[in-house]
Amino acid sequence: MKKVFGYRNIGLVFGLIGLMILAGIITPSMFSLNTIISMLRNNAVYVFLAMGMMVVLVTGGIDLSVGSILALSGVVCTSLMSSHMEIPNFVWVLLSLVIGIICGAFNGFVVGYLKVVPMIATLGTMYIYRGFAFLLSGGNWWFPHQISEGYQAWAGKQILGVPSILWIAAVVFLTAYWYLSYRTTGRRIYAIGTNVESAKVAGIKEARVRFLAFVICGALAGISGMLYTANYAMCTYTIGDGYELQAIAICILGGVSITGGRGTVDGVFIGWLMMSVITQFISLLPGLSVWQKALQGAIIIAAVFLNIAMARSSEKRFLKERGALL
Amino acid sequence: MAENKAAVRDLTVKEGFQLSKFLVKWEMILVYILILINLILAVARPGLYFNIGTIQSIIQSGLDLSPMVMGMVFVLMLGDIDVSIASNMVLSGMTTGLLYQNGTPGIVAVLAGILTGAVCGAFNGVLVGYVKMPAVIVTISTSMLFRGIVEIILDVNSLKNFPAFYNAIGWRNWWIFPICMVLYIIITVIFYFILHRSTFGRKLYIVGNNPVTAQYSGIRVERVKLIVFILMGVMAGIGSIFFVGRMGGGLSSSMGTGYEMDTIAICVLGGVSTNGGKGKVYGPFISTFIMAFLLYTLGLIGVDANTRKIVTGIVLLIAVLIPSVNRQLIADVKLKVLYKNNKNIEALNVKTAAEVKELKAEIARLRKSGDPDGKIRKAEERIVSLQNTCKEKTAQMKAELEENARKNKERFS
Repeated sequence: MKKVFGYRNIGLVFGLIGLMILAGIITPSMFSLNTIISMLRNNAVYVFLAMGMMVVLVTGGIDLSVGSILALSGVVCTSLMSSHMEIPNFVWVLLSLVIGIICGAFNGFVVGYLKVVPMIATLGTMYIYRGFAFLLSGGNWWFPHQISEGYQAWAGKQILGVPSILWIAAVVFLTAYWYLSYRTTGRRIYAIGTNVESAKVAGIKEARVRFLAFVICGALAGISGMLYTANYAMCTYTIGDGYELQAIAICILGGVSITGGRGTVDGVFIGWLMMSVITQFISLLPGLSVWQKALQGAIIIAAVFLNIAMARSSEKRFLKERGALL
Repeated sequence: MAENKAAVRDLTVKEGFQLSKFLVKWEMILVYILILINLILAVARPGLYFNIGTIQSIIQSGLDLSPMVMGMVFVLMLGDIDVSIASNMVLSGMTTGLLYQNGTPGIVAVLAGILTGAVCGAFNGVLVGYVKMPAVIVTISTSMLFRGIVEIILDVNSLKNFPAFYNAIGWRNWWIFPICMVLYIIITVIFYFILHRSTFGRKLYIVGNNPVTAQYSGIRVERVKLIVFILMGVMAGIGSIFFVGRMGGGLSSSMGTGYEMDTIAICVLGGVSTNGGKGKVYGPFISTFIMAFLLYTLGLIGVDANTRKIVTGIVLLIAVLIPSVNRQLIADVKLKVLYKNNKNIEALNVKTAAEVKELKAEIARLRKSGDPDGKIRKAEERIVSLQNTCKEKTAQMKAELEENARKNKERFS
């Protein structure tokens, strides 16, 4: 029992449970299996963006260009796919990964090696990638009939009653958990975020770790672009506009510190679930769909406020305990 | 004698005017860029360029976010950031529009709009200053919140009724000057006096450089932050006048997205550091015009609106990259490329370069005094010999390094 309550994200879990109870009372239709699966499927793209964003946030950076990377990879994959249907579909997954890695590597190079502030660097690349997405799309739209079944299957194929995009998301979650908790390079990301100076003294190359974080973030954003177009079976250059803020919001809800060093995969998972439930809940309430943005904003502020208040009170308690010892 | 006195620290930090330094200041570089863009425009489209109407319309098209640039300078100066300004702008525009539509006198409606902006700014300011939440998070969420409120109230409708002078600010000229430019200059002068000629401005620099020091030296950091964010809100309210005027007196909930990023881009281009504590008012003032002219020139060349975004991004990146190209970076690159990561070789080369420089300076001095002793030739010979020894030693050391590496390889293979 003690272990349960000692869990770092216990506040988040209670918040989630409370929210679900509230939603269950007001809109009971929310908790049929179909609704839940469609809810998760609609929000699955955020998993990739939020996971990547978390890695960057943990190093103390921020990546505003993920929405544009999503659009760029989505446009490239869809446009090539619609004209070359004969190419096997796994190629598009690889291509989207490569595009994401290139974009992320550029971000990482500018931030890590040229030492530009992450926010400004990715603000610039956000414009650049979005512009390229427009150039390559030529302003066109792609509709479901132009997108092949096999391509759509990457997101929509039912495996054990669950769409494949959710399976991919689960794989990403587990891999991220394993990588960030048990791999040396994963731990280095936390080391850089917690204290750059001591990490440097310990022999960790700061520039290389920052570069790596942005590459991971870019790769995940890239693959999310392909999955987005497969999931919704449509594509244009404006897709993913503002998703970077959504991804950051999910991370913040999940207890990731924006100043770096703090953040867990399970926290982000709960944050993502919370955001999905909120969105779904609001959209089920009649006449409230215009309230979505305002409520989301208010909820994020409240969550961060609570987070900070809790952190401060625990700090105070800690100091008191030490005072008692002395 | 003056020399024998104990050195008293001279607290009047006043450098003399140096032309060579003044000419390579960042603000002057911005002026050169502006002139360059103008020249390109003049050469590419002389018929259009030498026409007062064109210039006026360029300036009018670029200045619709100008008031917010000045507010953003202050926010960035603190090391904070405000990405909610576009939403704030639309919200205050909506307040004015709704009040005016329902028969409130124009001036009251406008003041109410600006007040709305100030209240929104105060909300941000309290959360950032007093609750001490990171500014990025606060303003990202409030940008959703403010735009959400606009969406709730306006839904898919749009407002059409605005006071008549809105249109004048966006489109009319006063004599040959666009009205918005005159207003922008007035705003800039006010902000210049606040930032560079008042104690509050000095406080901003101190807080931006080191908030902890500022706190200990008796500056109420929380209050400074609150005031700056309120000021930002007021500027967003004033910005709504410029914006709605430019949009032809219409407002809907989806307007003005991305303006916060454009504003930040202009500030950064103007030399304001996002880490805080660095920047001037006139830098962003010039870069506002740079952006206006740049985007218009690209439009004339035939680049469409979305591709211009690429240019905005690249300009932004280059602008932040230029200050980071400094001596340290060049030294690092040299160490890696020329000296094979060996500090001994680097030290040798640096030392030789310094000696050669000294000798050259001496030669110049000797030449001036017309020294006939042949000292010049001696010095020249010394330079050559120094350079030769340096080259030889470098080659030797590099060979040693290679030899060592080869031996190590053999030993461990």
